[in-house]
Amino acid sequence: MGCPVEDGTGAELIVAYGARKLDPEQESELERHLTLCPSCRELAQAQRAVWSALDAWPSIAVSPNFDQLVFHRIANEQQRTPFTGWLRRWLPARWSWRPVVPVGAACAALIAAFLLKSPVLQPLTSSENQPKLQIEQVEHALDDMDMLKQLGVESASEKAHSPEKI
Amino acid sequence: MNPDGIDTPTAQPSWNTRVKDTIRSLERDAELMLRVRDGDQASFGLLLERHRGSVIHFLYRMVQSRAVAEELAQEVFLRVYRSRSSYEPSAKFTTWLFRIATHLGLNSIRDGRKESRQESLDQETSEGTVRQVADGAPNVEQELVYEVKLREVRQAIESLPAKQRAAVLMHKYDELEYAEIASVLSCSESAVKSLLFRAYEHLRLRLAHLA
Repeated sequence: MGCPVEDGTGAELIVAYGARKLDPEQESELERHLTLCPSCRELAQAQRAVWSALDAWPSIAVSPNFDQLVFHRIANEQQRTPFTGWLRRWLPARWSWRPVVPVGAACAALIAAFLLKSPVLQPLTSSENQPKLQIEQVEHALDDMDMLKQLGVESASEKAHSPEKI
Repeated sequence: MNPDGIDTPTAQPSWNTRVKDTIRSLERDAELMLRVRDGDQASFGLLLERHRGSVIHFLYRMVQSRAVAEELAQEVFLRVYRSRSSYEPSAKFTTWLFRIATHLGLNSIRDGRKESRQESLDQETSEGTVRQVADGAPNVEQELVYEVKLREVRQAIESLPAKQRAAVLMHKYDELEYAEIASVLSCSESAVKSLLFRAYEHLRLRLAHLA
């Protein structure tokens, strides 16, 4: 075997050796070379140290509700309304659509306030009230007339029952 | 044939068995995903069970935050599910899965979404159990040595450029071949080798003293 470092095949071979991925024949051939080549030996030892150090980094435990969360997100997505689905299609993927709801509500409130104060609507509002006022006035007038009528009857009867004074 | 003249079967090399197991596993993934495409959600649950660990571990080592890793992993599987109707078993399922995971991981690194990197002794260990430090100098010392080593490894990985980091993690922890890593990273095999060898060179400089 030639020197892997010198002939350019060193990196791949040394990495595979460090990962213990060489077949037994390749590994023993390389190890024979390592006994003779200090630079390759140093490189191989360093690579094995790296591999061993990386082995020391353990995996994390997966949250017990991970699958549940995935299915929950799938279900939420499937229940999405046509409007929000349309919104998601047109908004850039990195935008969140959540701010649109309060912004939309604020716009709706402004539009409602504008319409309420609008002169277009006011005649309607006053005209709606007008018939009511007229009815109230008529009722009052009728009440007054009743009252007057009663007074008028009493005075006539008083006249009828009381003697004429000289 | 042994000296008694009896034929004894030669033991198969372990790598042969591993290759066969791998092929069976890949066929199983494709079969499950095709069922998901046809509307079978239970098969999606099986795929989730088979691959959630490797995706979460990969993303954890990429972004070095458990919470972010799990959130990204959820997104990975959500995207797999979303794309179910267009799935074709032309490539390995794991390649597709890792392509999505790497894309999300690289975006996360670029966006700088990180939580605290340091784990205190009061927090859960990566095995999910709270670390108990017993009284007695040797255990405490061993724990401290371990913590220092782990910190150096994490910092060394974090110091790698994002693509080199992804390549090393897939090569080391997920044992992907160069061709598969190339497919995940959408580059040539020679580009992957270049990424890996530069990454390992950097790691040798930082970690060789830990031997």
